[in-house]
Amino acid sequence: MINYILKCSTIIGSIVLPISSVQAGGHTQPYGPFPVTLEAYSGDADNSVSYSGQIARHILHDSLKVLAGQGDGGENSQSLKLEMLSYFSGSDKNKKILAPLPTEAFLIKQTTLDEISSGKNIEGKFYNGVMLAWPGAMKGREVALHMIEQASQAKKGFDADNGYDWPQLISKFTMGAMAYNQAVDNYLDEKLSADTLPNDKPYKEGKHYTGKEHVWDEGFGYFGAAAHTLTLTADQAYGIAKRKDAAAADFNGDGVIDLKSEMVFGPAYYAAAFDRSGSKSTNYLNTIMQAYMDGRMLITAANGAILTNEQRSSLKGYASIIESNWELVLAEATFKYAGSVYKDIVKMSEEGADKDKIYRAYVKHWGELKGFSMALQSGRNNLGEVAAKMNELILFGPVTLDNSYVTGLTSDGGFDRKSRMTWNDYQLNLLKVQQMMVDKFSVSSRVNDQLADLGALAEKLSAESNAETD
Amino acid sequence: MGYVLLSVCIAYLWLLFIRNMSLKDANSKVFNRKIFFSKSAKVDYKIFIINRLFSLFISPLLITQIAIATLIFYILHRQDIVHSGQFSDANEIFVIAFFSVSMFIFDDFTKYFLHRWMHRLPVLWAFHKVHHSAETMTPITVYRVHPAEGILYGLRSAVTQGFVISTFVFAFGNIVDLYTIVGVNVLVFCFHVAGSNLRHSHINISYWRWVEHIFISPAQHQVHHSIAEEHYDKNFGAALAIWDWLFCSLHVSDIEQELKYGLVDSSETSQNLGNMYFNPFREIYTKSIKFIQSTNIYWLAKK
Repeated sequence: MINYILKCSTIIGSIVLPISSVQAGGHTQPYGPFPVTLEAYSGDADNSVSYSGQIARHILHDSLKVLAGQGDGGENSQSLKLEMLSYFSGSDKNKKILAPLPTEAFLIKQTTLDEISSGKNIEGKFYNGVMLAWPGAMKGREVALHMIEQASQAKKGFDADNGYDWPQLISKFTMGAMAYNQAVDNYLDEKLSADTLPNDKPYKEGKHYTGKEHVWDEGFGYFGAAAHTLTLTADQAYGIAKRKDAAAADFNGDGVIDLKSEMVFGPAYYAAAFDRSGSKSTNYLNTIMQAYMDGRMLITAANGAILTNEQRSSLKGYASIIESNWELVLAEATFKYAGSVYKDIVKMSEEGADKDKIYRAYVKHWGELKGFSMALQSGRNNLGEVAAKMNELILFGPVTLDNSYVTGLTSDGGFDRKSRMTWNDYQLNLLKVQQMMVDKFSVSSRVNDQLADLGALAEKLSAESNAETD
Repeated sequence: MGYVLLSVCIAYLWLLFIRNMSLKDANSKVFNRKIFFSKSAKVDYKIFIINRLFSLFISPLLITQIAIATLIFYILHRQDIVHSGQFSDANEIFVIAFFSVSMFIFDDFTKYFLHRWMHRLPVLWAFHKVHHSAETMTPITVYRVHPAEGILYGLRSAVTQGFVISTFVFAFGNIVDLYTIVGVNVLVFCFHVAGSNLRHSHINISYWRWVEHIFISPAQHQVHHSIAEEHYDKNFGAALAIWDWLFCSLHVSDIEQELKYGLVDSSETSQNLGNMYFNPFREIYTKSIKFIQSTNIYWLAKK
């Protein structure tokens, strides 16, 4: 009886407190702890939140990115490939965290993946539809494995001939094909249906959280936000991801950053990045985080009962907010890097420019552009014609120094560069990519907008009464 | 409003110190009730208000300079002679000055040609007549235009700005900017400060003869409105006279000459508002029928 009263008061507290803080204009409650609501549970656990598997996958992704840049151009290719695969596909224990690593001013609590969650990999949670953005018409997982193979043979992850930056390509594609795909096309989609993982039963036998609680938590875990994101500004969230703002990260004040709940990973980092730059008119991070919080509080308020149709409908509404804003973040990233690549081409043609250095940056930015455009195509929505047009504009590879670009794969899995394009033509393609992100997704942060100068000058001139006649 | 007050000051200075008028005479010249409350001026005011309302509905439908600039910017990427940002390392002050001057000159140039066509092409003259039907001139007369002419000038402005903006941004990148004073191109500001409002007035400020070959004086624009035969199709320029000089339509002013404004074939109904708005269409229809008949397209003419 006492247990029951305590449980009820915790539930009421966890709902009333945030509601009152919302009414006061502040959103301060972290994502967890949330009470155990499962009526049949009689164990000691008092927190039903669990998404450590997703955090482990973010760390696997970050570590894989580090490995993708460690090739020596051939000699270590076999061992590097095996190591990369152990992070991508393996489930072996005692894997080291290669990223994020601690710094003097940013101490991290965990050093191995097992301290987060053991036996996790990326491949099992990777988008496996056909990915037409990559040569060879392969499925998502095959594309990732192809990239890993290529990265292991490249020197420091850079393929100058074909214009590929493997760490960037692998990382940005994975951010969509794993995190975005799993969240919006799995946990926040079919797993929200009435007959899947109901709220009155444990997620798995013996677990202390309900089916719907864990589904929602896992969906949240893929976003990669710190649990206390609603107390953070976009600048602080950005600083945490960059390991520069330990004070903002260390929510419990124990002096070390707990990767499980206090770190900001890829998807949330980019949401924050666009909120703090460009037009500064967006609020992606907070909007997504608030929707996750609202959804979790709705489930908690159900107190271990099956969700009504009305409750599930509200939950799907929150899921829809998350999906649409997350998709916008990926579109903003595509927009931004199309602008970066455009600018790099301008820089390369400047007199006295260090062409090698700029070309290296150009290939890096193109990797980000391509990776994010592929991430955008890894969601629940079939982008259809938009995806086809976007792929046609971005191409399979960037225009390289001899104006050739990758058009397909050779029989041994290498790259064919049978066509050529002028720099001006490719810049036009990039402008069209930016325009497409505006027209189809209504991006509004618009970092690196290459048409912004036209707009700003037109705005200035419109102050004059040029329609004046004589 | 500031420009109007400045124009009033310029008018006083001109009348008091150049034309050596007494203050009383200058007052009655500047604030001439017969002009400001003439039948023609009242029509100016009505058209001004009606056109403002009309533009509220029409302006959003017109193509904007940003749409044209974007289109031309895209097209510029289709050539390989100059690449995007080729001159982005140019001196910033030079680029901004170059852009400000180019914008002003190109804008003035297209105004000249559209204005010239408004006079030379019968279809356009049918609309432009509304402006020239003014028998007295006030600063509001500049807005006495048929809405169709307003649309044409709006499109001209969009095309001109779109072309210059896109070309400069393509060549010079993001260093392109405009030197402005009170929010307008510094040269446009100078044009207004020099009394642009007095072009449509009875204050016939003229410049030295050689200056009138470079800049259009208010008196020269008043010559443009004159119904005297020797003034037909003269002084189409807005700010610069060089276009008139180059294309043989320049006429320097003669301040001693009394000018009569309006239309040669004006009638009792010339100041009728309905006629102003609908006559151009009637005239174009009648002329089209005559044209069809003259080209022997009988079946069309019969219809």
